[in-house]
Amino acid sequence: MDQNINLEIKLPKVPEIELVAIEGLEKMGKYLGIPEDKIGEARIVVTEAVINALEHTGDSNPYVKVEFEMTKERLIILVTDSGKGFNPDEIEEPDIKKKIDSTNKRGWGIKLMKSMSDDLIIESKPTGTKISIIKNLS
Amino acid sequence: MSTDFNIVSEIHNDTLVMKTDGYINNTGGEKIVLEFSKHINNIKKVVIDLAKSKVVNSIGISYLLEMIETLNQNDGKLYFTNLDPTIEKTFKIMGIFQFAEKADSIDSILN
Repeated sequence: MDQNINLEIKLPKVPEIELVAIEGLEKMGKYLGIPEDKIGEARIVVTEAVINALEHTGDSNPYVKVEFEMTKERLIILVTDSGKGFNPDEIEEPDIKKKIDSTNKRGWGIKLMKSMSDDLIIESKPTGTKISIIKNLS
Repeated sequence: MSTDFNIVSEIHNDTLVMKTDGYINNTGGEKIVLEFSKHINNIKKVVIDLAKSKVVNSIGISYLLEMIETLNQNDGKLYFTNLDPTIEKTFKIMGIFQFAEKADSIDSILN
């Protein structure tokens, strides 16, 4: 039976704290012998999910919960914040040509997460948002 | 994991070469644009060597888009060297290579 390892961390709203989650991810991947390209893609997914969540999490609870469940075949990433939520259907697909000429050059997080994972579910309500991501590793 | 970000920059004729070291996030992106803005009137090409930058985020990349916008307005061009495969894939997904190029080496741009 496949070994299943888990990590659960509560990250405070502190600059570059997403690197703590990435370090945990890399150590788990190395332990299980996950190929570097898969871990590299997961690194981008986790970075984007955590920085988005930290940006939107509420001031009354300025923390983000990050959970990893990893086997040799699959990584499940759960990122939960306590922000005011958003409607995922209202997120516009970014276009590089428009972004280059726009004053707002941001808004790439969801696209990158979707592109580098195999499934992404956003559950958002006025008390917070949970992003569940599945990435196949084999 | 180091969180310091540094840039070493050199000017070769009309080309600014910036060798980055560290995480390209908002802080790293700001430093890159600041360095770029010091030289904008004297350059046409910018090379960003990412050999020592293995982690980026989309906020940091948004600063690179700012540079691309300015270079486009000045008939300039942005080049990347020593791209980590994951960063290269990130740039491809975003469509950055429609406006910037990957180069094999710094010398290939200078010569």
